[in-house]
Amino acid sequence: MRQLLKSTLAVCALLLLAGLARAEVILTPDEIEQTLAHGPWPAVQAPDPSNRVSGNQRAINLGRRLFEDPILSRDGFMSCATCHQPDQNFTEGLPRSMGRKLLDRNTPALLNLRAHRWFGWGGDSDNLWAQTMLPILHPDEMDNTADNIKATMERGPYASDYRLLFGHAATQSSETVLVNVAKTLAAYQETLMTGNTSFDRFRDALERGDALAASSYPRSAQRGLKLFLGKGRCAFCHSGPNFTNGEFHDAGVPYFLGPGRVDAGRHAGLKTLLSSPYALDGAFSDDPHKSGAWAVRSVIPTHANFGTFRVPSLRRIAQTAPYMHDGSLADLDAVVAHYNEINTERLHADGEQLLRPLNLSSQDKEDLVTFLKSLSDD
Amino acid sequence: MSRVLLTILAFVFAFPAFAEKLPIFDAHIHYSHDAVQLTPPEEVARILREAGVKKALVSSSDDDGTQKLLAAAPEIVVPALRPYRRRGSIGTWMHDPAVVDYLKERLAKYEYFAIGEFHAYGDDILTPVVQQMIAMARERNLILHHHGDREALDLIYKTWPEARVLWAHSGFAPPGEVADALKTYPRMWSDLAFRSDMASREVLDPRWERVFKAYPDRFMVGTDTFAPERWYYVGSHAEYSRAWLSQLPDDVARMIAYQNAEKMLATK
Repeated sequence: MRQLLKSTLAVCALLLLAGLARAEVILTPDEIEQTLAHGPWPAVQAPDPSNRVSGNQRAINLGRRLFEDPILSRDGFMSCATCHQPDQNFTEGLPRSMGRKLLDRNTPALLNLRAHRWFGWGGDSDNLWAQTMLPILHPDEMDNTADNIKATMERGPYASDYRLLFGHAATQSSETVLVNVAKTLAAYQETLMTGNTSFDRFRDALERGDALAASSYPRSAQRGLKLFLGKGRCAFCHSGPNFTNGEFHDAGVPYFLGPGRVDAGRHAGLKTLLSSPYALDGAFSDDPHKSGAWAVRSVIPTHANFGTFRVPSLRRIAQTAPYMHDGSLADLDAVVAHYNEINTERLHADGEQLLRPLNLSSQDKEDLVTFLKSLSDD
Repeated sequence: MSRVLLTILAFVFAFPAFAEKLPIFDAHIHYSHDAVQLTPPEEVARILREAGVKKALVSSSDDDGTQKLLAAAPEIVVPALRPYRRRGSIGTWMHDPAVVDYLKERLAKYEYFAIGEFHAYGDDILTPVVQQMIAMARERNLILHHHGDREALDLIYKTWPEARVLWAHSGFAPPGEVADALKTYPRMWSDLAFRSDMASREVLDPRWERVFKAYPDRFMVGTDTFAPERWYYVGSHAEYSRAWLSQLPDDVARMIAYQNAEKMLATK
């Protein structure tokens, strides 16, 4: 009996040791602190005060139906979902969007949008409903007019839904109806959130001090996270719970569109924003306090804006290829290779000083990609 | 009233003297090897002319770009010789003895008004390569277009007290420090390339305004076409410059827009 007890205890001790070895968290205390800043997730989401139907279930339902209905385009040619395809994480899977013709930029994923300060690769808008109007009116996309949208909301299949939310379209200006339609579309898009990931579970376990739970996060992903926070300098721009600082940077990606044409990025975006009547300091915002308007009021154009693009979120990044503003990088391996071998000749000596070749080993690159993949729901 | 309307009204009505396009001397232009490949010199010349750029101090990595552009727009291009062939050498060129031979070869072959834009910080200036480069400039009385800090600027003047130096980006120093450098070195000029702090949404910064009025004959503007795509910013940059310059007295605006650069070139 005693012998049996001894053997059992020995086996238990071995199992415990093996478990402890597996339970190793390889992050330093400083890295753990940085990791905690990338959560918690999902973030608490308050309704958008500039949009009086934000969070309104009736508006969300109408927005969802309109999003997928080509009725919002001039001739029924396309809907929002033609490019922002729900079964492809609201992207298109193509390097550059295909509207009525090949467009200039990659279709961005419509995920976790409530957390954004600026919208679109160039930050043309400071709110989601204003951004939503742009493709509806753009001649190379849905090519519609406010007058047509008003006619549709007066007499079309959505007239009663519209009336219940906003009153009779017939009594409103075309511009007001267009803005209201955009607000229902925004209400729907705000609901498109990514879920909890293995990274989030790791991060939450670290916060609780639960080393055993943290240990289930693969060692390769932990090594990748260390690179993300340290040598790779990724976290300077891909910061916070949504893995973006929401601002605009030169990532060393060329922005020629063809002979004599360039994508001016934030430079062009600011021109649109600052001339827009739909910004948060304008009359179409429903927020009496204009609480988000400080950004548009205080943003200052600079020479560095030219050719910079908004830092994308990395949540669900593994499922939203291809990458960069022009979709020029096909997969995450290509993205890591781009930053690893970045062409500093393209960058101003006093500009994006964070970016320089990283000299990552093959193992480093693999680890970084493993970490990035862990930012997708699983 | 909308922000846009206010801006337009402010511009049109407050500054009628600028209704006509103010000519620009762009003192910080590069036409480097990758830009040459992507945008032909005739197109670049068209961009400069359309932007109302009367003259441009052009330096390129490598120098072939400058020569090609000079051939395409001889009335605009004021050639400067950059001491290195690739922008990637900006932090190492001062340790490369081959730079000296390159400078000798180009200086023997072509005419230049300046050497630069060259990047050098602190005691980089004391390296044999930079010292030989300054000696070559001195022999030919060429302007030095220097990108670097105040310490390097001081060492340039210690090496060659009579040098004409164009301080690229005004050293990215705050206006008070730029004023101090201008006061210390009467033969120094400042370019304002890739700086946006002079004006906020086209409203002139009062600290800069004081310095511009104290040293109206020492500043000039520049685009800095450091990447090929930035050639398509030359027009926007010229408009931006005209907008903030319009808030200065007309004579000061004209000096900064183009007269100071012409005077710098004419100074012996």
